[in-house]
Amino acid sequence: MKSVPAHLCLALGAGGILLAAVTARPQTQPLGHATDFTSESYFEAPHERQIKMRLSGAEALPLPGGLLDVRQLRVETFGEDGKPEMVVRAPQCTYAPLDGVANSAGRMEMQSGDGKFRVEGEGFLWRQGASSLTISNRVRTTIDLPVLNATAS
Amino acid sequence: MKKILFPFLILFGAGALAAAQTNAPVAKTNSPPTQITSDTADFDLSAHQAVYRGHVKVVNAEVKLTCAWMLVDLPSAGGHLSNIVAETNVVIDMTDAKGQTYHVTSAKAVYAYKTEGVVTNETVTFTGKPRVETATSTIDSEPMIWDRTRNKFTFIGPNMISRESPGAGATNASPLKLF
Repeated sequence: MKSVPAHLCLALGAGGILLAAVTARPQTQPLGHATDFTSESYFEAPHERQIKMRLSGAEALPLPGGLLDVRQLRVETFGEDGKPEMVVRAPQCTYAPLDGVANSAGRMEMQSGDGKFRVEGEGFLWRQGASSLTISNRVRTTIDLPVLNATAS
Repeated sequence: MKKILFPFLILFGAGALAAAQTNAPVAKTNSPPTQITSDTADFDLSAHQAVYRGHVKVVNAEVKLTCAWMLVDLPSAGGHLSNIVAETNVVIDMTDAKGQTYHVTSAKAVYAYKTEGVVTNETVTFTGKPRVETATSTIDSEPMIWDRTRNKFTFIGPNMISRESPGAGATNASPLKLF
């Protein structure tokens, strides 16, 4: 489990039967869907017990081409010390399990583990392997941290 | 003069200064959050970096900054902002506690925060035809470096045009004595 990429875990978590059906007959109507799924990937040794990323969703509907229509996507990343780093949420996205890529034209939001760094926007591309997120429209970042008063003379 | 760019530090130092051990006489406060808006953004969660592109605008209680491109090294939880780079048509408008307005332009502005032992270095470096305009003067320097830790503002080859005496005409003089 520790070395299994998260997207493969998701594929398993979303239901082997579902994925098998999609893979075997990519041009046909999918047979089923998964609900409340979660997948996790882990750091390499010596932190192999620590979760690096957790991807979850409320529902995954199969789409042609081996894609998944994921509802209530939630991606959590963690540091090697186990502390949460970032949480990405989107009400809907299209996910390619084998490529580890998710995208959507809809809204998304992201925030740091302590909640003091928040981002929202419209339209995104999440590359799981590179842990990169591109937001394509109306990006708004809020940094809620203490600043300094001008007391210098 | 050293007050001129202080609000700029506030902008670039939001979060970076939370636990700073500097010699500067500063105080923490809970201010409204800093807002950054842009057309697009790329976040590298492994490298902890964010790159904002297109109509980048940063606003907090004291400062407005616009530019075309901005890179931010994202701090870990409770950590410092250590590096911010703003590029292309950098424009900063700010007002100090006395109501004095400042208009700063440059091609590039870099905020850097670094701690080595008990020594903290915190600077903002402006390059690319930096200019500071106030109600009474305009100062050009290439580059402009503001040492936040020492509250020292350094001009290289400065040129100042004073407008303090309306009707007397603009003059060119070294502003170094002011700083």
